[in-house]
Amino acid sequence: MIKLNNINKTYFGAQPLHVLKGIDLEVAEGELVSIMGASGSGKSTLLNILGILDNYDEGDYYLAGKLVKNLSENQAAEFRNKLIGFIFQSFNLIPFKTALENVALPLFYQGVNRKKRNMMAMEYLERFGLKDWAEHYPNELSGGQKQRVSIARALVTSPKIILADEPTGALDSKTSAEVMQILREVNATGITMVIVTHERGIANLTRKIVHLKDGVIESIEENDPDKMDFTKEIK
Amino acid sequence: MFNRDFWSEIFMALRRNKLRTILTGFAISWGIFMLIILLSAGNGLKNGVTSNFADRIQNTYHIWASFTELPYKGHKANRYIMLNNKDIQLLETLYQVEEVSPVLSQGGTLIFGEKSKSVSMEGVKPIYKNIEGIKMVDGRFINENDMKNKMKVVIIDKNTSDELMRINGVSTMIGKTVFINGLSFTVVGVCKGQPWGDYGQCYAPYSTLQALYNVNRYYQLTFITRGLNTKEDNEAFQKELKKKLAALHEFSPDDKRAVWIDSQMVNSLETNRIFNTINIFIWVIGIAMLISGVVGVSNIMRITVKERTNEIGIRKALGAKPRSILLSIVMESLVITTIFGYIGLFCGMGVMEIVNMVLKTGEVATGGGEMSVFVNPTVDIKIVVSATLVLIISGVAAGFAPAWKSVKVKPIEAMNYR
Ligand SMILES: Nc1ncnc2c1ncn2[C@@H]1O[C@H](COP(=O)(O)OP(=O)(O)OP(=O)(O)O)[C@@H](O)[C@H]1O
Ligand SMILES: [Mg+2]
Repeated sequence: MIKLNNINKTYFGAQPLHVLKGIDLEVAEGELVSIMGASGSGKSTLLNILGILDNYDEGDYYLAGKLVKNLSENQAAEFRNKLIGFIFQSFNLIPFKTALENVALPLFYQGVNRKKRNMMAMEYLERFGLKDWAEHYPNELSGGQKQRVSIARALVTSPKIILADEPTGALDSKTSAEVMQILREVNATGITMVIVTHERGIANLTRKIVHLKDGVIESIEENDPDKMDFTKEIK
Repeated sequence: MFNRDFWSEIFMALRRNKLRTILTGFAISWGIFMLIILLSAGNGLKNGVTSNFADRIQNTYHIWASFTELPYKGHKANRYIMLNNKDIQLLETLYQVEEVSPVLSQGGTLIFGEKSKSVSMEGVKPIYKNIEGIKMVDGRFINENDMKNKMKVVIIDKNTSDELMRINGVSTMIGKTVFINGLSFTVVGVCKGQPWGDYGQCYAPYSTLQALYNVNRYYQLTFITRGLNTKEDNEAFQKELKKKLAALHEFSPDDKRAVWIDSQMVNSLETNRIFNTINIFIWVIGIAMLISGVVGVSNIMRITVKERTNEIGIRKALGAKPRSILLSIVMESLVITTIFGYIGLFCGMGVMEIVNMVLKTGEVATGGGEMSVFVNPTVDIKIVVSATLVLIISGVAAGFAPAWKSVKVKPIEAMNYR
């Protein structure tokens, strides 16, 4: 599903900063992978490249068999819309749209008509227990509810891959556990998932843990999440 | 693309920023409003001035005599030149002159029943009606028959007619006999008059007054010409005529004051030129005002787009194509300019309609005798259409730069903005 060859990325600010220094990584379809590392190690940068939200300087990135390089803005939009679902630490919901409208938005960009769009969005909200919150605006929702809305939004287009940047970073441990439970269930339906986190407890729930340090992959750890005890708090 | 969702997104954005929308819109409304007011006023002024001689035929001339400027052939300067029958004969021999109507001026007192009134009576030919653009309110002007038979008929102005009717309690003056300087005349027509003080204005056949008063002095001669179609033709003719008059009255051909030869056509051309200049001036001012409105909209759109950077980033992450973002911003700007532009347009046109109505009732109240400075101050459909085009173009222009910028920014940068 994902194949990275020698990905390099430098930020050209006041001082050039070489953030990713030759990343090689493969993620198979249906895998649940986490990326761990210290703050500033380049986790978000890597995830943004995976999501085609940012570009890279060197190397090759294949997504679902296609080379993602020098894409036109239109092609990139297609990829993001059809293949990828995003979940962010800060939710990134549009504040003046209701939960339902937020979830329906990716379908709008697919040209799905309003009625069908709202129906599908409602289905996903229901699935995550948010039916009664459909007409509420993000600022009327709790953190966990917001994250569930954004998961619904990421899933509504049935993407092949979910990219999550610290999805539990802004949540308390109980809510974090709930969100992780949802993400694992989503993964169980066959959707590939890459989660960036700096919490060991979260990483322990994934099958593969990629350790990033100063822009290089330090190690890749295999893990068996089923050994985990879900009745315990994860933080 | 332009479906209900598209528009509801745009109107939602406008409603979310009501104050901003209204403030920006106001600049545009004001620009268009002023453009319309200025253009209408310009039109009104032009209509007003031209309507005062709109009914006159173009190929007409007026000649006045005056004091000489230069000494010539033993005559001193400041000698008064008086036009006489020899001038009429001279004019009638000229090939370019089709018909002459002298203006035989005779002051006097008009008496009808209880009322007596000072009048200025002018002996003229039928053609004089066209030369001066005299408008009849009732009855007829002098005709060829009056001229041939030296009929004692008279045309009086509307104010005089109204006054005589009121005081004597009659319903019309047509057919009534009035006395002017003791001679009886039959009223055959009523015309719109010029409000020159309390004087009444009368016209009688030239032949009649000539027979009665045997006049050989004229303050003014008028005539119509043939074959003089351009400014150059007219200027050449004026020069030739001046030379002949100079020879006849023994004043220097270089004398600029002795006689005035005034061509209606040259005046019209001159007037048109002035109004075209005024018109250009108005467009320049109006467009400048519009531009400042457009710059305002553009600025506001820039701020709006900046405020919406995060949102635009999110939309991009969800798969919004550049075209959709570009269009939504450009259309937002277009909607603001168009809606508020039309508000300005209709306010401007409304105000000018009201002004127009006030002017019209004013005209009725004064008996229509006034020289009108301002007539029909409205804009035509052509201007409305071009204003619309200007609005659309400026709306797109105002939105495009900020929209393009937001399309170019990377999604992650947009999302992390602030
Ligand atoms: N747009 C940018 N311009 C310049 N430097 C940047 C930019 N984004 C990130 N960086 C720098 O690149 C480095 C890696 O950043 P990144 O966000 O990938 O780290 P991270 O591993 O996600 O850290 P954290 O755990 O704190 O989120 C950091 O030193 C950061 O300051
Ligand atoms: Mg990060």
